[in-house]
Amino acid sequence: MLLSLSWLREFTPYEGTAQALGDRLTMLGLELEELRHPFAALEAITTGHVVNCSRHPDSDHLHCCQVDVGGEALLDIVCGAPNVAAGQKVAVATVGSRLPDGTVIKKSKLRGQPSHGMICSERELGLSDDHSGIMVLPENTPVGRRLVDELELDTEVLDLSITPNRADCLSVLGLARETAMAFHLPLTIPERSLDCVEDSAALPIAIQDPELCWLYAGRVISGVTVAPSPAKIRYRLMAVGVRAISNLVDVTNYILMECGQPLHAFDLEKLAGRRIVVRPAAEGENFVTLDGQNRLLNSRDLCICDGEKAVALAGVMGGLESEITETTTSVFLESAVFQPASIRKTSRRLGLSSEASFRFERGIDQERSVWALDRACAMMAQLAQGKVHKTLSVNQAKAFVPATIAFSPKQADALLGLSLGSDFALEVLQGVGCQVQTGIEPWQVTQPSWRPDLTRAADLVEEVGRVYGLDNIPPALPAMEFSLERAGEAPSDFVFWQKIRHWAAGLGLNEAINYSFVGHKDLDLLQLPQEDRISIMNPLTAEQNVLRTVLAPGLLQALRNNLAQGAQSVRLFELAHVFHASQQSETGARETGILGFVLHGLRNEDVWPYTPETMDYSDLRGFLEHLLATLHLPPARFVACAKHPYLLPAIDIFLGDEPLGCLGRLVPAIANEYLAHEGVWLAEVNLDLLKKASEKAAVHFVGLASFPPVRRDITVIGGRELSVGSIVEHIRSMKLPYLEDLAFVCEYEPEGSEERHLSFRLTFRHPSRTLKDGEVDKERNKVAQSLINALPVRI
Amino acid sequence: MDLISALESLEPELEKGLDQASSLDELEQLRIEFLGRKGRLAQIMSQLPELPQAERPAFGQKANVVKERANGRFEKRRDELLAAREAAALARFDASMPGRKPNMGSLHPDTLIMEEICGIFRQLGFDIAQGPEVEIDHYNFEALNMPPEHPARDMQDTLYITDTILMRTHTSPVQVRTMLARRPPLAVVVPGKVYRRDSDLTHTPMFHQVEGLMVGHSITMAHLRGILTAFVRGVFGPATEVRFRQSFFPFTEPSAEVDISCFLCGGSGHLGHETCRVCKGTGWVEILGCGMVDPAVFEAVNYPREVSGFAFGLGVERIAMLKYGIGDLRLFFENDLRFLTQFGA
Repeated sequence: MLLSLSWLREFTPYEGTAQALGDRLTMLGLELEELRHPFAALEAITTGHVVNCSRHPDSDHLHCCQVDVGGEALLDIVCGAPNVAAGQKVAVATVGSRLPDGTVIKKSKLRGQPSHGMICSERELGLSDDHSGIMVLPENTPVGRRLVDELELDTEVLDLSITPNRADCLSVLGLARETAMAFHLPLTIPERSLDCVEDSAALPIAIQDPELCWLYAGRVISGVTVAPSPAKIRYRLMAVGVRAISNLVDVTNYILMECGQPLHAFDLEKLAGRRIVVRPAAEGENFVTLDGQNRLLNSRDLCICDGEKAVALAGVMGGLESEITETTTSVFLESAVFQPASIRKTSRRLGLSSEASFRFERGIDQERSVWALDRACAMMAQLAQGKVHKTLSVNQAKAFVPATIAFSPKQADALLGLSLGSDFALEVLQGVGCQVQTGIEPWQVTQPSWRPDLTRAADLVEEVGRVYGLDNIPPALPAMEFSLERAGEAPSDFVFWQKIRHWAAGLGLNEAINYSFVGHKDLDLLQLPQEDRISIMNPLTAEQNVLRTVLAPGLLQALRNNLAQGAQSVRLFELAHVFHASQQSETGARETGILGFVLHGLRNEDVWPYTPETMDYSDLRGFLEHLLATLHLPPARFVACAKHPYLLPAIDIFLGDEPLGCLGRLVPAIANEYLAHEGVWLAEVNLDLLKKASEKAAVHFVGLASFPPVRRDITVIGGRELSVGSIVEHIRSMKLPYLEDLAFVCEYEPEGSEERHLSFRLTFRHPSRTLKDGEVDKERNKVAQSLINALPVRI
Repeated sequence: MDLISALESLEPELEKGLDQASSLDELEQLRIEFLGRKGRLAQIMSQLPELPQAERPAFGQKANVVKERANGRFEKRRDELLAAREAAALARFDASMPGRKPNMGSLHPDTLIMEEICGIFRQLGFDIAQGPEVEIDHYNFEALNMPPEHPARDMQDTLYITDTILMRTHTSPVQVRTMLARRPPLAVVVPGKVYRRDSDLTHTPMFHQVEGLMVGHSITMAHLRGILTAFVRGVFGPATEVRFRQSFFPFTEPSAEVDISCFLCGGSGHLGHETCRVCKGTGWVEILGCGMVDPAVFEAVNYPREVSGFAFGLGVERIAMLKYGIGDLRLFFENDLRFLTQFGA
């Protein structure tokens, strides 16, 4: 809301600065966003008197003027305007001043004649598009004064951010009420007397649904002459961001800004049947709004109709056909109150928000609707020489009934943590316009018609706090009450995730956070299923039109960003939810916590003491094994599978029988899309399962053996298909009593050989005595023999 | 040569050998040559049986003396060589060589800020609560006193899944879910992702909030101010002051925007002659929104009329930007390692 300080001063005698007003209003909840100076560019323009004006000796259109700008000497100014003449009062840009378009006025000669300034047109001053001639000021204008003062321009404008609850503050009147209250000033609404000179019958007004249109009123003004508004009106509207159009339209906007009541002027001649019907649109009805757009309406849009057809989209925009034109001679001026929700629905559906709809959505002071109408009529009579008709056309389908609120000043003190007492509360409530009946407990407080937000005791508590100043409330710490019911509960996901995050960062991984939405095409690229995706109905872009079902797309995007920046090594992790459509969930979405990894490039920076080595399966699997051990969970099973079309190899991870997640290498064709040619390793692990499992994992102390371990290595030789896992599994299955540990030591593949040589280390220990070499050798041989019998291997 | 003189001749030769031995390996070779199982001393000793019985004790004694002395010389020489090797190694040692540094891990600044905030509130006695990111309209809006077509819905541009299901626009629906699940008194903080249909220099369609809610008997706005003062001092230092500015949120009344005294200029608005870049010269920095829970919200969760409470919500990225001096919001979700690794773990 743009509030002109001088306009405000017509309504309350505020003498302070704009900044001080803005600061006070800010603390009252009307935040000053910016202090504007709409005519700052005109500060240097002065008023002048054209003393002499003669034809330029060497030009047929230029004039040589001598202009008095209040200085010691007259200024010589060459002027090309056709309307310049001696005796005029004019706006002069003197040498050194800068025009709104940036032109700096310099001493010059025009066809040999000196020129020490410029006599300006309205367009040159940025005041209108008029460039037909220079701007001529009233005859009684003193010379040598600042133009902005002489024109009484609104030089200071406060841009206030008005919260949705304060419909009343979307007008000069409303902000004047707040200013008057805040500074203990009177409210001095300037009078506009209405003289009704003609009369005609009222237009009949039919309202089909009183819930949608609460009040519809209008007056006829005949004999109007459509013309531009006087300068003062035009400049004032310009100062508060409204484009001047014509006297009739400008009046509706002027009153809207001043009183907060949207008005609409119809050309009476174009209203068929001289009647008004307020009704919902027919389904599929077409209507051309005055911006020339054809709008397809439905039965939830409210229309203003004449005897035949729709003439306005109620509260949102008028129609093209019935709008005021240069030839209009009679006007029907509407002032109405509509149901806020209905206006908002239409405005949002059509993406059509206007100053009017913005106010209707928030609530109108119905008690002042006819008052505002009459104020506008008075202005039209004055500006367009119109004759206002005496009979008011009006249908109040639903009267405004103020809320009566039971309120005790103690409620305010109790909620605010203050002891303000009842005198203060009474002063505040009366100050904001409430009627208060204090003789009884609780008080009966009546809502002011302009405050739709004051309907409950809580709203009045807020007023008391607001006027006292929330910032004056001293801080105090509450006594915390705890309940035993929650003792021993498992820690929240946040805490568990936090543990995982610190684990990962501790191992040298970097945490990424990606958007929860990706593009369908990102998921398609990974050949992920389509049926369980959740799409965004109104996405900002096609890159963000679906919720991610895996973390991979975001991690890969992050990988690409980093590779594009020349990173040689990317080790990212992310903890976030993925989303799958689910009938079981009340939101239609199953949200699963996932820990994702992407590894690519060098294991360590290629500097001393490291040699350049590329990360591979062992790195990623190592992290996962480390994680499970950190959480006291048993080792997982890693099983090659073909379930993840974007991974090759793809490996499922099982914790016991539960699928915990997967890992694998991104297929090179997809890796190309992300600027990585090979060796992109991805893993995703279900955090919900991990948390559940880790909550169950118990730590049991194992006594320390005091007898020495004995180690034996064994090398198993077999074909290429021989796996480390199969050997480990077989040896474990033998359940040798003193085998304490079994570890894979190394792989060796002799050149030209098609065989794998896999070495394992067996560690034996007896709990109560030292094992003898002989018996350990026997155990090792038992293992060797058993392997040979069970698998196609030799030792 | 008799055995005694053979024995005696060993010593000068050994002496010479020791002088020449310049490494521990050479010394070991020399030791084996003289004192090994098949060394020269052993060879001389092996001839002992050839001596007459009477000469044997004297010879034995002599041999022991030679052996002991030789051992002593070897040890001395070994110590010398060890010391020399140590000295040489020390001379080569370069303390300025870089370390074998493991890879540096890092946490996202949002994580660090959320952890810090939640940590402070846990100390103050708040539990952590969480809820779904895909939310139903009822919890996100209606139960928070924002019925359909309420103009306050304009304050939060919403990403919809269906007409009634949406991406939560704030963490406040978790307030509703928590109150439906638990009876007062309660105090929770809710960290999490939130979504708005908004993307420009200062808005990203996803960001993080931490929401706080405390409900009990006789909870006042003074308590709200106390808790928030304790919180901002925890994050921005003990001298931080709090300012409450009247505002509006549909789910709290009264509502306030909270400013803190600028942590960079100390609230003076300028640094030397320069206008403070953080507070733009005002001395205050807007940090969060808060208020007393609106009775309509308590009604929506069937709480008794006697309870009161407060709620607040803050933007995690905003705090991170202020605290770390990050100028560009978009950096938060580009995941450039040069950004991610600046904030620690």
